[in-house]
Amino acid sequence: MDFSLSDDQVLLRDTARTMLAKECPASLVRAHVDDVTVADALWSKLSDFTALGDGPASDLFLFVEETGYVAAPGVFFPTVAMFAPLLQALDHELLPSVLAGEATGTVALAGADGHFVPNDEPVKTFVPEADRVDWVAVVDTGPKVRIIPAGDVALRQTRLVDFSRRHFEVDTANVKSDTLALDPAAFDDVVAHTTGALAAEMVGTSRRLLDMAIAYAKERIQFDVPIGSFQAIQHRLAECSLAVERSIAAVQYAGMTLDASDAERFRAVHVAKAAAGTAAMRATKDAAQVHGGIGYTWEHDLHLYFRRALASEYWLGTARWHHDRLAELLFER
Amino acid sequence: MHLAWGEEEVTFHEELCAFLDEHTPPEFERGFDYAGEAGDTDESGEVVPAWARAWQATLFDHGWMIPAYPPELGGRNATLVQTLVYLEELARRRVLRSFHYPGYGIVSPSLLEFGNDEQKRLVPAAVRGDTIWCIGMSEPNAGSDLAGLQTRATRDGDRFIINGQKVWTSYAMVAQKCFVYVRTDPDAPKHKGISLLIVDMDTPGIEVRPLRHLSRAAHFAEVFFTDVEVPAENIVGEVNDGWRITQGSLAHERAGLWVEGVCRLDATVSGLIEVARRRGLDQDAAVRRDIATMYEQASSLRALGYKGFASFAQGSSAPEHSYMKMATSEIGKAACEYGMQLQGAYGLVADPERGEENGRWTNYFFMSFANTIAGGSSEIQRNIIAQRVLGLPRS
Ligand SMILES: Cc1cc2nc3c(=O)[nH]c(=O)nc-3n(C[C@H](O)[C@H](O)[C@H](O)COP(=O)(O)OP(=O)(O)OC[C@H]3O[C@@H](n4cnc5c(N)ncnc54)[C@H](O)[C@@H]3O)c2cc1C
Repeated sequence: MDFSLSDDQVLLRDTARTMLAKECPASLVRAHVDDVTVADALWSKLSDFTALGDGPASDLFLFVEETGYVAAPGVFFPTVAMFAPLLQALDHELLPSVLAGEATGTVALAGADGHFVPNDEPVKTFVPEADRVDWVAVVDTGPKVRIIPAGDVALRQTRLVDFSRRHFEVDTANVKSDTLALDPAAFDDVVAHTTGALAAEMVGTSRRLLDMAIAYAKERIQFDVPIGSFQAIQHRLAECSLAVERSIAAVQYAGMTLDASDAERFRAVHVAKAAAGTAAMRATKDAAQVHGGIGYTWEHDLHLYFRRALASEYWLGTARWHHDRLAELLFER
Repeated sequence: MHLAWGEEEVTFHEELCAFLDEHTPPEFERGFDYAGEAGDTDESGEVVPAWARAWQATLFDHGWMIPAYPPELGGRNATLVQTLVYLEELARRRVLRSFHYPGYGIVSPSLLEFGNDEQKRLVPAAVRGDTIWCIGMSEPNAGSDLAGLQTRATRDGDRFIINGQKVWTSYAMVAQKCFVYVRTDPDAPKHKGISLLIVDMDTPGIEVRPLRHLSRAAHFAEVFFTDVEVPAENIVGEVNDGWRITQGSLAHERAGLWVEGVCRLDATVSGLIEVARRRGLDQDAAVRRDIATMYEQASSLRALGYKGFASFAQGSSAPEHSYMKMATSEIGKAACEYGMQLQGAYGLVADPERGEENGRWTNYFFMSFANTIAGGSSEIQRNIIAQRVLGLPRS
């Protein structure tokens, strides 16, 4: 197994890092709390990278790790990590325009219980960015898919603690549209791809939280020394960084197994999302603790990122949920 | 990044498998306990059983002991990646190279890096296992704070005279030679007055008092030095420059250990699934979740090890490896404890007739205590991660 990045991958990652540091500062994420249109300018840059929706999972994961690092708001994730893989599995005519960054979309799947599992309920929950994409792909059991213009569905926002990504309830009861059948096995791969991508995004957010905590531990002085010299802080951050590093590696491995269509890929994705969720929760709590009172203020940027980390853990299956799915594979039911 | 190895590795792997199929001693098949590593002894309690000595020599003679070394040192000039393939395959088969790691794992790389030509001539026998080595670092007052060691060596013409005591010295009761870390300048700052001497264990004045492990079976020892005379040329590297070598030895120890660590952890987690099945707990939601959680930890750690290896193989430092020792030993300890818990009241039964798998899990549990202490405790690893990987200021 070779985990080394190719030159192209290093270039992709570095390009993403530089671009996003400039285009998606904390001030943009903060402005997005009250004005979601600030994400439009960011999308004009991110839309150069929509072809990743059709490329190797490994490349997409590297890129969205960086969007997670800056808690990028907007339609990139649903369009590229959800809608595009679904279109590709359907061999759908919209795919080229999505990959060209001209059309955007999202996926409506979860029912009332919030689990990302096909059902026949008319109202789908936790549909990201449904009010600002062009298309909503509604998935029912079968799986059967309807690709509907976003303007035709009834929406209701579900407000979450996270302001950087927005979720909606989508009511499609009265929408007439063609139904496309999808091979269940192909759909499992789409879900794995999307879940792996969210895990990748999360490890970026966790890395951001850890970086902020380390930086603060070096600069904050108490008892005449930097707080980072206290062993209690050092050991907390050492354990936190282990959790984050493990999750980064697990995501990379999941991407490799998906690209190879390896038999391990479903296990690997459950491991990746569970490891990412565990690390995200840990990084959230540890970063807040290390920041002391300042981290408890609205003015400090820390919460912009830990809200995103939290929201990602609770979306597409918590660590607990993925451990239980993993157990089904390990115990063969 | 990709899952499969290249052509060069595949050929290498085939040759290795052919060799192992033909030569692996049957003792490994007969339930040799890789996951517990049997506390460095076989069932008979022998520290280095005769069959294991023969096996190590066979590996050496066929160039399979340390594949990266040249043939005269028991290798075949393998690449780093081939070495990884090798370690994986051995671990997958639960085959140990040797029952005494200090000679090939610590002494040889240290002598090759720091030794003079005469000392380098000791390497083949150390790797082949013809000479058993022990490592005299720890003392009653110098454990984690290794640089606080007090065993003195004073220069007397063409000899050093050693006085002092080492403790927890694994293999001391069977070893022919010892790497002894001594204080040669008591007035220098503590890291600056340490030297490394090669000492023959049959030198007059050395007394070895075996100490039993917690497991009762295996041993380490206290080693006492009273006016022990060592030829001055037995010094490795420069006088008072021994600390640099300790850092080297420990690094050598850590670089390859992660593969064995994660493989042992995988074996433990698979074992837990089997125990849950046998105990009728495989449909228990809590048990399933707990075991899946440990699987997640073990497999993400494996990925972290490979990720570190990829940067190491490209010549960069691999901070990932700093995590591996701590994490495999800590998660391993939790997994071993879980194996006992799954057995309820029978968890502590040491009676081979009654307990699960001959009381193997209690044994694992005790063994797992050593892994979070020896070779740098978990607390010391966290200090290292915080200061050297995260760059936090020293306390
Ligand atoms: C099975 C086994 C085999 C061994 N084999 C050998 C051998 O062959 N040769 C050899 O030289 N040694 C050997 N050792 C010794 C081993 O290296 C030491 O036990 C180890 O370095 C710890 O030292 P100590 O036992 O003195 O514990 P101490 O250093 O006294 O540590 C006690 C506790 O204090 C903690 N602690 C110490 N310093 C700090 C700090 N700065 N910050 C936070 N916590 C701290 C430790 O983590 C530990 O929990 C072996 C040990 C074992 C268990």
